[in-house]
Amino acid sequence: MVQQLTTGDRQNTLVILLFVFVVGVAMAAVGRFDPLGVHGVIVMLFGGSLAALVMRSYYEREPTQDRLSHYYDDPIKAGVALTLAWAIFGMFMGVWTAAQLAWPDLAFDAGWSTFGRLRPTHTTGVIFGFGGNALIATSFHVVQRTSRARLAGQVSPWFVLLGFNLFCILAVTGYFMGVTQSKEYAEAEWYADLWLVVVWVTYFVLFLRTLARRKEPHIYVANWYYMAFIVVVAILHIVNNLALPISLGQAKSYTIWAGVQDSMVQWWYGHNAVAFFLTAGFLAMLYYYLPVRAQRPIFSYRLSILSFWGITFFYMWAGSHHLHYTALPHWVQNLGMTFSVMLLVPSWASAGNALLTLNGAWHRVRDDATLRFIFVAAVFYGLSTFEGSFMAIRPVNALSHYTDWTVGHVHAGALGWVAFITFGSLYTLVPSLWKRERMYSPALVEVHFWLAVAGTLIYVFSMWNSGILQGLMWRTYTQEGTLAYSFLDSLVAMYPYYIARAFGGLLFLLGAIVAAYNIWMTVRAVPVAAGGQADVPDSGLAPNTVATPAE
Amino acid sequence: MDIDHDTLVGFAKSWGLFYFIAFSICVVIYAFWPSNRKRFDDAKRNILDGDDRPWQ
Amino acid sequence: MAELFHRKLERTAIGFVIAIIAAASVGGIVEIAPLFTINETVEEAPDLRLYTPLELAGRNIYIREGCYACHSQMIRTLRDEVERYGPYSLAVESKYDRPMLWGSKRTGPDLARVGGKYSDFWHVAHLTNPRDVVPESNMPAYRWLARTGLETEDLGRHLQAQRALGVPYTNAMITNAAADAFGQAAPDSPFAAGVTERYGEKTQVSAFDGVATQLTEMDALVAYLQVLGQLTDAAYSNTAAPEQAPDPTN
Repeated sequence: MVQQLTTGDRQNTLVILLFVFVVGVAMAAVGRFDPLGVHGVIVMLFGGSLAALVMRSYYEREPTQDRLSHYYDDPIKAGVALTLAWAIFGMFMGVWTAAQLAWPDLAFDAGWSTFGRLRPTHTTGVIFGFGGNALIATSFHVVQRTSRARLAGQVSPWFVLLGFNLFCILAVTGYFMGVTQSKEYAEAEWYADLWLVVVWVTYFVLFLRTLARRKEPHIYVANWYYMAFIVVVAILHIVNNLALPISLGQAKSYTIWAGVQDSMVQWWYGHNAVAFFLTAGFLAMLYYYLPVRAQRPIFSYRLSILSFWGITFFYMWAGSHHLHYTALPHWVQNLGMTFSVMLLVPSWASAGNALLTLNGAWHRVRDDATLRFIFVAAVFYGLSTFEGSFMAIRPVNALSHYTDWTVGHVHAGALGWVAFITFGSLYTLVPSLWKRERMYSPALVEVHFWLAVAGTLIYVFSMWNSGILQGLMWRTYTQEGTLAYSFLDSLVAMYPYYIARAFGGLLFLLGAIVAAYNIWMTVRAVPVAAGGQADVPDSGLAPNTVATPAE
Repeated sequence: MDIDHDTLVGFAKSWGLFYFIAFSICVVIYAFWPSNRKRFDDAKRNILDGDDRPWQ
Repeated sequence: MAELFHRKLERTAIGFVIAIIAAASVGGIVEIAPLFTINETVEEAPDLRLYTPLELAGRNIYIREGCYACHSQMIRTLRDEVERYGPYSLAVESKYDRPMLWGSKRTGPDLARVGGKYSDFWHVAHLTNPRDVVPESNMPAYRWLARTGLETEDLGRHLQAQRALGVPYTNAMITNAAADAFGQAAPDSPFAAGVTERYGEKTQVSAFDGVATQLTEMDALVAYLQVLGQLTDAAYSNTAAPEQAPDPTN
């Protein structure tokens, strides 16, 4: 990673890392009686070990001037590795927590291993660790290729990638220690949030400067989605996390939002994290890796523009559908419901656009498991956006809210859409990034595909069943007009589904491990693509199609 | 005039809608503007070039 | 016109960013801005009292342990919920809640009105091992709470931060925070009187975990659970039928 940096870059890197180290020391000192101090030590170690890494290669040969005539791929490669590492960690935590719901004694007699503390390590691990690293890595790849320009910085891509991972580490280790704001999907405390702002602004500037360097006159639509993801997540993150720490030496803070305002802000954030983190960013992947893999241009570019603005506009209104029948004012609930239903239009436009792109290439979908990953992702995107709009309707929500149906819906999106499009993109990206002939084992891609499909279906169907059953049991009345079931009756009915769900999650985790192994072996063992054809501009063929016709 | 809850709600209910309509008209015009057709066609095809170096 | 404008926006990508912000922020502004004036429409609850330092500490333990992941604190305006859990929740009841803990999932039952429903002893036994009390339960056991002493030294700072954000804690409450926390869990101690004096006669003073001499995290959490739904009677005085409660024209 250091080879691509000039001496000046290396010095800058060391200055930044020294600064991180000093901040770590300061945190450890003022927070020595608090979890904040532990985080100080982690920050110290993070900055210190990276600095040692740079120092070790400090006197290595400098890159030649022609580095600027190549794309900057080193941070992307590291990003792919981090994506897979977080996938395995996050999904493992998911399986563990799922198993705890079926077998509650699957914990140690200590706070860190109970469900309440492990759950955010799962959600943060998969959403931010797995999803976030995948977004950063692919955005670096896509923006360079579609702009025909190298990333506008040598150090800043590393700063963004590693800084983001430091945030994830602080967040997850904090949850084990009980450091949490309790805001769903934004549990990390104030100092980690501040750090993420720094990282995110750098990301924003880097992306914008790279776009400004572009040689293509038009900004390809995938970059629009990445841009919306970066910009809106920044707004959401800052507004939702405004808080007052009780002291600078303590991790605990109190949010500036109270009660009903806080509920609206939290779900405005929560739902738009789904929209702009888990949808916009991954649609960007879809709009680049689908055409590249299928070797067919997107069905309708216009439609992709219309659905872009539709999604950007509509999603922001939808958050209040998480608060139907609560103490939130009625008109806000209705607005949320209306826009959630309208959201179906741009969402299905995107899903339809993807499927129509594949129309005429179904034989490739049949033969190529990678393309099948992307195909299934588009199908699940269509399904879960329909389900989401449906569940946002007030009377439906009366049944579905607070039940496992919501969990099933989230995982239809997170497994079926987000993870499938990510793995499809990774299998497309990895051979071309490392300039390999093909993936190490097409058969293992196939194995992964079926593990992932089976895992997702088992998971989603068991949660649909349990959720609807639970919702119905809560509201069933006897002929005498009394509630027919106690809460406990409904819980007892859940156990078989909880076991099935844990099993489905386990299959999905196994698939991710297979993927990590396959990608690792591709980098280690597959020969470099012949003839350097990957480096010749305008060869007329994408390298991966030449390399992996049958996979 | 005092800015109270009802004023804000009224504003949200009316101008929010007008804003939305104006916005969508602009987007549709942009997407279907005839001279944009070529740019969009180029954009959707250009990503399939197998180029692996930045343009100088 | 629109086309030229958009082309310009695109060439300078910063303009494009502004367009994204313009499109995206409207929804949030329209929905959230009116809520800044929500106090005008929120119900009055003159009897609403503040969390005592011990209850606040318990609330923070509730947050720390992620209880909100499985327990909601928001009874919706639906008949079955009102019959199962009690009067539906009002906005004013979480007026001082930072953050709010309405929750999103009921793996366990709603807790908005659990206060006073079970004895302190039941809560301690249940938290120590839920399956001793409810054999079918899948809740984790929280044994260590009873053997972990409660950090009281910084409670004043907690109250001070809350006051900076608008919760009306008095100077006396802030200076006596640690003593009040101890006093609330030690009914026979000289500190007990100060708690009811500052927080009201209805404040429950009790040796929550059964041991009055030592203040543990178990004391704090049980004190918090026992105050849920007890901060004000507003919800009980509102007699509208649940389904019709919110004004449908609004």
